[in-house]
Amino acid sequence: MTELVFYIIAVSLCAFAFLSVTVGDVFHSAVCLTFTLLSVAGVYFFLGAPFIGVIQILVYVGGIMTLFIFAIKLTAKIGDASIRQFTRQLWPGAALAGAILALLLAVIRANAWSLRLLPPVQGPDLKQLGVELLTRYLLPFEFISLLLLAALVGAIVIGKVKK
Amino acid sequence: MKPFLMEIIWLVLKGIMALTFVAVSAMFLIWFERKVSARVQNRMGPMITGFHGALQSVADTVKLLLKENIVPTGADFVVWWLAPFFVAVPAIMVFVCMPFGPNAIVCDLNVGILFMCSVTSVSVLGIFMAGWGSSNKYSLLGGMRSAAQIISYEVPLLLSVLVVVMQAGTLSMQGIVHAQETGWFFLKPNLLLAFIIYIIAATAEVNRVPFDIPEAESELVAGYHTEYSGMKFAMFFVAEYTNFFIIAAIASTLFLGGWLGPVAPSPVWFLLKAYGIIFILMWVRWTLPRLRMDQMMSFAWKALTPLALLNVLVTGWLLVIKG
Repeated sequence: MTELVFYIIAVSLCAFAFLSVTVGDVFHSAVCLTFTLLSVAGVYFFLGAPFIGVIQILVYVGGIMTLFIFAIKLTAKIGDASIRQFTRQLWPGAALAGAILALLLAVIRANAWSLRLLPPVQGPDLKQLGVELLTRYLLPFEFISLLLLAALVGAIVIGKVKK
Repeated sequence: MKPFLMEIIWLVLKGIMALTFVAVSAMFLIWFERKVSARVQNRMGPMITGFHGALQSVADTVKLLLKENIVPTGADFVVWWLAPFFVAVPAIMVFVCMPFGPNAIVCDLNVGILFMCSVTSVSVLGIFMAGWGSSNKYSLLGGMRSAAQIISYEVPLLLSVLVVVMQAGTLSMQGIVHAQETGWFFLKPNLLLAFIIYIIAATAEVNRVPFDIPEAESELVAGYHTEYSGMKFAMFFVAEYTNFFIIAAIASTLFLGGWLGPVAPSPVWFLLKAYGIIFILMWVRWTLPRLRMDQMMSFAWKALTPLALLNVLVTGWLLVIKG
């Protein structure tokens, strides 16, 4: 049962990731990317990390994909024929992806993975996560919020109408 | 029987129960809306089919089932075809964490309220896909407006939910209900403000008057679902009323104590509170005129969002002072 669910998620993840870089229409590509991101959220749920999965959907699908689609719409004339995407750098990209695959395979082969079922690990609950973020990981956490604030101010400055 | 098979049957049964509730609730709400609007406008509303038109929605459903599914010639078929699912499926998925009673919940995730908010945020893509895939300028404008509106009002909506989470100290829906055993949340002033912000923002999220500019019928025909007919249109319609029920149910859980209540069984209290909020929102819909696009956006960003942020700050201070 659980294996079946995993394979469904895995196949949809790979298929839509592949489609999102190969279909011609940019809007179709965005839809495929949405399915990819939803599948990634599915992987998180499957691994027993619902918090990360939920945040994945909220941020990537609800926020970033909406912005992507807005950007696609606003860079062309509204109702215009679709923008085509192209793969100009097919061979360098393929070589790079191949190199990453080889590296991953080497690491996977080098380790002996135990295939017996382990008792489910009790993941950190939300409270622990919050406490950790505000104690041990306070500096990176605050740094990210500073970065986001800078981006926010920057967006307003760029978007402001010039006098 | 094998446990594996039992598990699958139980899952399918739960799914059927959720789907049945979604369909029946939407049909009831459509009839109810027609009756409320009729009362507001001093009419009778549907009266022919069944007692006071009670079977009107059933007749309408049969009509929609039998209608031809027309594909517009210029439509981007795949996107056009997928869009209703993107709107309807999240609406049904939300019921996973809906607490109808102390034990009547499909799965009490420990991130319940966050799960609901994130799943509902997917439907904005469906609305946009419907607008884009139809190759119709009215649809596209409706989709654009809707997307702009939903992402703007999502901010005050989530901030007012955050106030509840701070007060309850948990994200689980059942945990939030249990936190209100000593007193419903809307009785506290800062949470009353959050309740009001939530209701306003949620009305905008489901595109209802006074925030219905995505489907403003006098300018945009029917907005993003102009080009849909038959069951495709029915899916949008059911999703719209299901989302309407969802925001009322979430509001009753977060602020009005959910299923808590004396004497009567808990699901009765839950549904009573949810339908009470629905009635008030219908009353608003048939009373107020529609806002303009720029009024609506400036209200979201210049009034609601700062107010909601301030409310988070005040709640933080109150919690610190009380220790």
